[in-house]
Amino acid sequence: MLTPTILIQLVLAGVLQGGTYALAAFGLSLVFCIADVLNITHGEFLMLGGLVTYLLFALTGLNPFLILIIVIPVFVLIGAGYQKVFIKPILNRPPRQLLFSSIVVTVGIATAIEDTTSFIWGPTVKGVSYSMPAFNVGGVVVSSLRLSILVLIIALTIFLHFYLKKSFAGKAIRAILQNREGAMVVGINVPRIVTLVFGIAIGLAGTAGLFYVLLFTIGPFIGLPLTIRYIAIVMLGGSGSLIGSLVGGLILGVAETFAGFFLGAHWSLAVAFCTLVLVLLLKPQGLFKHV
Amino acid sequence: MSKKIFNPWEGILIIFLVFLAVMPRFIDPYWVVFLLLLFMYIGIGASFNITAGYLGYVNLGHYVFFGISAYGFSILYVKGVPFILCLATGVLVTLIFATLISYPFLRLKGAYFALANFGLIKLFELVAGSLRDFTGGTQGISLKPGYRAFETYYIFLGVTLLTVLVCYWIPRSKFGLALFSVREDEEVAAAFGIDVTKYKMSAYVLSALFPALLGGVYAWYSAFIDPEVVFGTDKALLPVTMVMMGGTGTFLGPIIGAIFMMLIEELLWTSGWLPIWIKSLHLTMLGLILAAVGIFSPGGLVTLSPFEKFFTWVGLGRFLGASHKSLKLDGT
Repeated sequence: MLTPTILIQLVLAGVLQGGTYALAAFGLSLVFCIADVLNITHGEFLMLGGLVTYLLFALTGLNPFLILIIVIPVFVLIGAGYQKVFIKPILNRPPRQLLFSSIVVTVGIATAIEDTTSFIWGPTVKGVSYSMPAFNVGGVVVSSLRLSILVLIIALTIFLHFYLKKSFAGKAIRAILQNREGAMVVGINVPRIVTLVFGIAIGLAGTAGLFYVLLFTIGPFIGLPLTIRYIAIVMLGGSGSLIGSLVGGLILGVAETFAGFFLGAHWSLAVAFCTLVLVLLLKPQGLFKHV
Repeated sequence: MSKKIFNPWEGILIIFLVFLAVMPRFIDPYWVVFLLLLFMYIGIGASFNITAGYLGYVNLGHYVFFGISAYGFSILYVKGVPFILCLATGVLVTLIFATLISYPFLRLKGAYFALANFGLIKLFELVAGSLRDFTGGTQGISLKPGYRAFETYYIFLGVTLLTVLVCYWIPRSKFGLALFSVREDEEVAAAFGIDVTKYKMSAYVLSALFPALLGGVYAWYSAFIDPEVVFGTDKALLPVTMVMMGGTGTFLGPIIGAIFMMLIEELLWTSGWLPIWIKSLHLTMLGLILAAVGIFSPGGLVTLSPFEKFFTWVGLGRFLGASHKSLKLDGT
């Protein structure tokens, strides 16, 4: 029953899913590397990004890709504010205490966001029903909505790559990754870069949320399972590496799609998990090194 | 440690235990259930503390052992297998699972370990919900109902006492010393001839034993389990947050944290003076309290000076523990 067209369809769907995963996972990975903070709230921000998109779309009926122009700056600001209010007070603690505190604080915020959202909007799932014409390439049906999302994800990834390689802030981020003290010595304002990194990370999460709500449906409780997937991707790809997040995301996306097709959608998280255990046994450091 | 002088607190402790043992006969059944749940959370919290506090590996999915044992117990119990056998099987399955999973997982460090375990609990929620023939799917398993609060009260009291005693013993033993040295620096510990992997794995499996015992009995007590009850995220996080609120790595932390959180929950739920919308947002309140504890009191409640002073004053200062002091050494 596995004809080549179905195979191609599955791989395409997996790549797409993996792309949205990779976007958000890279944010988490960056935050984890730069600030040593395990940000469990990350998936909640994706959910909020999807929710904002849904609300804007329902209110204005704008093209979802125009909403992207609103979502990105809003979530960058939210991320920076979140870091200023909740993360900054705990950043200067010694490593293990930082881990404990970051878990306590971010789990607390995540619970609060989840509960408030489900209280205000109810537990129902929501999706944006925005469709674009599909076209047929040699028997493979390609939805142009999915294709344009894929193109956007690729464009964002390339932009991020050059941002990290060429811009001053990107160079500063990489410098902190390599040697924090050294970066301080040459005059990089580390706290400001940390705030910036949180902004970028949450901005990416919000963007991924927009794509997510276009492709799938969102509910108030999707945040934590997604965070777990992201951490699996980060571990898979190696933390702080853009290419690692991308490859990890794609592996996970394709594996989940195949598992969903052959075993049933319930098993996709199990696949993510087994991939994770396998990688841990074979290569505990992850597949790729820093940026 | 030799103690020649009679310590009055030991006498009070014994009186307190006798009091706990006879109390259920005289108080309202509501409070029996309250105390029973309190014991359960103390037990889970204290065993969580073995890995998180003593070994330094935060196991966010500690509750998974509780769930596996509860499921193992229930699946056998509905088939008519005697109670003890069911419990033994549930605990055994959990311990085998813990041993198997401990090897790949303990290769992870810090946050990765925490979240991998957290993923485990999500995975089990899904698996238990999907294997319809085996676990009853999302409908769960119903056991033969019955009022078992008193028996459960005593079993939980016993298991919790055992847990607390083990947690009291660990910092005073060679085993605990090995755990502390692994926590402070794994490479150095290995260089001093400590078999790091062995100690890490045995601490992990030891900490799995107590939730496993509690889980099986809990399934028997509540006569109904489903994936949400034993693997739900909020349930899984509750004991962890209790310990972190009380103070990780200390002997008294899990106990104080559990009592504190149970009282807060109780007040938020049953008080008549709070408006209804605050009650429906009680998870939000809990989350914000948690974040506040994380931001303002990193070591948990036991490190707050009023608590510290109080416990030193009543002569329980030693229970704040050497382990808690070395947690502070981190920064130096």
